[in-house]
Amino acid sequence: MIGIKAYGAYLPKYLLPRELIGKAWEFPMVPGTKAIASADEDSLTMSVEAGLDCLTGIDPKTIDGLFFASTTQVYTEKDSASLIATVLDMREDIITNDFTDSLKSGTSAIARAIDTIKANKDVKSILVIAADTREPEPSTMWEYGFADGAAALLVADEDSLPISIEDYYSVSANVTGPWKRTKEDAFIRTFEVKMDAKFYIENITKVMSEILKRNNLTPEDIDVAAYYYNNPRTHARVSKMMKFNQGVAQNGLFFQVGDTGTPMPFMLLISALRRPKEDAKVILAGFGDGADAIFMKIQDRNALRGLSKSRMGIFGSQKSMIAIENYNRFLDYKEYLEKDRYTRESSAVTIWRDTASVYKWYGVKCKICGTIQYPDMFRSCYVCRADDQMERVKLSLKGTIFTFTLDHLVGGTYLDIPVPRCVIDLDGGGRVLLNMTEIEKPEENVKIGMRVELTFRKEHEGAEFKNYYWKCRPERGRK
Amino acid sequence: MAIKGIRDKVAIIGVDSTKYGELWDKNQYDLLFEAVQGATKDAGITKDEIEASWVGIFYYFTGLSGAMIEDVLRLDGKPSTRTENFCASGMDAFRNASFAIASGAYDVVLACGVEKLMDQGSSGLPGSTLFGHPLYPTPSAPAMFSLAATRCFHEFGWTKEDLARVAVKNHDNGSYHPKAHFRRKITLEQAMKAPMIADPLGRFDCCAMSDGSAALILTRPELAESYAHADDYILVKANAISCRTIFPWYVPPNGPGADFTSFPSTVKAAEYAYKEAGITNPRQEIDAAEVHDCFTITELINDQDLQFCDRGMAAEELKNGTFNWDGETAVNPSGGLKSFGHPIGSTGCRMLQEIAKQLQGRAEGRQVPDAKIGLCHNLGGAFSVASITVLGQRE
Repeated sequence: MIGIKAYGAYLPKYLLPRELIGKAWEFPMVPGTKAIASADEDSLTMSVEAGLDCLTGIDPKTIDGLFFASTTQVYTEKDSASLIATVLDMREDIITNDFTDSLKSGTSAIARAIDTIKANKDVKSILVIAADTREPEPSTMWEYGFADGAAALLVADEDSLPISIEDYYSVSANVTGPWKRTKEDAFIRTFEVKMDAKFYIENITKVMSEILKRNNLTPEDIDVAAYYYNNPRTHARVSKMMKFNQGVAQNGLFFQVGDTGTPMPFMLLISALRRPKEDAKVILAGFGDGADAIFMKIQDRNALRGLSKSRMGIFGSQKSMIAIENYNRFLDYKEYLEKDRYTRESSAVTIWRDTASVYKWYGVKCKICGTIQYPDMFRSCYVCRADDQMERVKLSLKGTIFTFTLDHLVGGTYLDIPVPRCVIDLDGGGRVLLNMTEIEKPEENVKIGMRVELTFRKEHEGAEFKNYYWKCRPERGRK
Repeated sequence: MAIKGIRDKVAIIGVDSTKYGELWDKNQYDLLFEAVQGATKDAGITKDEIEASWVGIFYYFTGLSGAMIEDVLRLDGKPSTRTENFCASGMDAFRNASFAIASGAYDVVLACGVEKLMDQGSSGLPGSTLFGHPLYPTPSAPAMFSLAATRCFHEFGWTKEDLARVAVKNHDNGSYHPKAHFRRKITLEQAMKAPMIADPLGRFDCCAMSDGSAALILTRPELAESYAHADDYILVKANAISCRTIFPWYVPPNGPGADFTSFPSTVKAAEYAYKEAGITNPRQEIDAAEVHDCFTITELINDQDLQFCDRGMAAEELKNGTFNWDGETAVNPSGGLKSFGHPIGSTGCRMLQEIAKQLQGRAEGRQVPDAKIGLCHNLGGAFSVASITVLGQRE
């Protein structure tokens, strides 16, 4: 059967209370918070997080493809999927594609993954990751909704899977609703929000009704409906029009997390999968220049419980989120404020040559003395001085701080001063130096012996391309 | 195979340095000219007697090659070489010049160093992004050494106050030196309350950005008596360097220097140098030492690695006065990098001329009483290069 083998999610650490937006612009107050990415995060880095969460306990070398879905991809020429797959340490003989330009590209990528697996006997599984770092124009009502996050679903063809995918159905609709011109626009624009709402309601109800019809189902048969929305009121209206039973339409994220865009239906689904009902029937639907609906059935509740326990998912991320206290921090994270940022030289040649070290997070192990070392830069062993005895080893993404400093003198392009620079002993071997991100009051909170997790982040913009590398952060609980 | 070394094969016959500080109205050529002119004058020679030169420069913006000597001195095409070895660049110029003398290739050579940092602005050494790799973190110089400070606090129980004592002692010594960048004494409280540069190192734990130059004239001992310092020329008793990794933070936990409480390059260079000089009890035998104090923590760890005291005891010994100018082993009687700043390429040569003058009894600041054997030590990079020279009076 084709279905969902595993899921993963990532919500950034920080929440922006909507109250701060209201105060900043003297807007009518709206309750709740929304998730905002740190300055050193983008859709690509958050996808790595969601991908790592999804692949907990799964060998990345066994996956045959990676689809990346986003409206906020970091390049327009040069895809993100190939870089994400590299960082996740997947094979090279795989299919990688970006699905972009529409908020439904997440559900579309799932549909294309199903098609690819059906059509190609060598492709048994595709990791679909949706992510967005949505950029509202400051002082517009978009600010209340637009949020950041990523979610991943592993689509596979196996004899037994926790969730089977039974069918999908799509509609296409051209409407000049929200848009962002490639060259002219820094932010999303729209012409008439009431018309946008009408098209949303029409399309999302149309695909969901049609998928019910195609599968001889009534709305009462559905246990979980995870469909995209950007406004709690229209969400409720869709639920009512669809005649779903109470509690079927998933609406638990907007209040705290906001409208994360492309990954939002995935997130709603993942949230609902924490407490799965036996044989539950599930609809996953995305919207944007049309709509997709995917019909799924829960096949194995125990397997789903296992996934829930072994992954951060949405709930694990939510637990470790904290609210920021100053609206200006949000402006800074989104780079809305022009300021001189520390920068560095770069070389695409060096980075390519060092892919194993800098992206895939491999070290080397001396075959003579067994010492694991990083980076893969030298042919002679630090400890026993043997030449040419190194073999590559995968390093852990967790470790313990051996020593550190808080550097006030030299910063990072996307790091606040002081920058904690940490010498870390990785679990299982390897000593590395990493900058720390997302640390509150470093003077009080960075300590020798502190446990840290590695996180893939934007480093700088040297040579006018995106320079990414690993940083450490206080543990958020990624498995 | 035993290393033969250059003990008693090289004599220092003339030394000088510029004033150190924020020398806005002078360029690197002015500084180098002034230092070399002072040294030739001290030796009683003309510039034409110099047969070959070595100049320590670290940063490309100060000078890219030995050819700079020609522009400064117009020696009509004589050989000159730039040496560059992190903070030991100046002492490496001296090392190479010494080898030229010891080999018999030349009779009179110039060893000098210069750096013009202030033209680049005063907020920290430029170019921490120049180590090559585009992605690996590049800590600032104080951050590198803070990694050791954090660990020493943890291992030895040292505190901010222990670090501050180094600054107080060195600024006290420097207040007597007419050529020091800073000539004001400071209090423990001032040092401890200064703004942070890289936790736990504050402003007074870090040496300043500074401009300066220093120079030495060398010859063979048998020729030394025909020059101005015939009676009090200085003999090189040992010169050693040790190089360790540029990236100490990648040294695996079971590798050399992984504990961050010792600089293995200093330990090894000391081992080489003491063997060559025949020193068995450094604490007693060395009267005056210029020890690399780019940061206060650096001096404390070096005091231990140079065997001036037991491991973990440097803070205690400092508190007890062991390293005062009139203590058992005078450490940085000139005021050190803390008082002079650290124009990288020049510092090694400045230390050497300082100790030479101490042994001649003509120190410009604090004169260490009855100094007979002196030591100069640089530590460069991230604990990567240690350079040690032991100097003694003529036989």
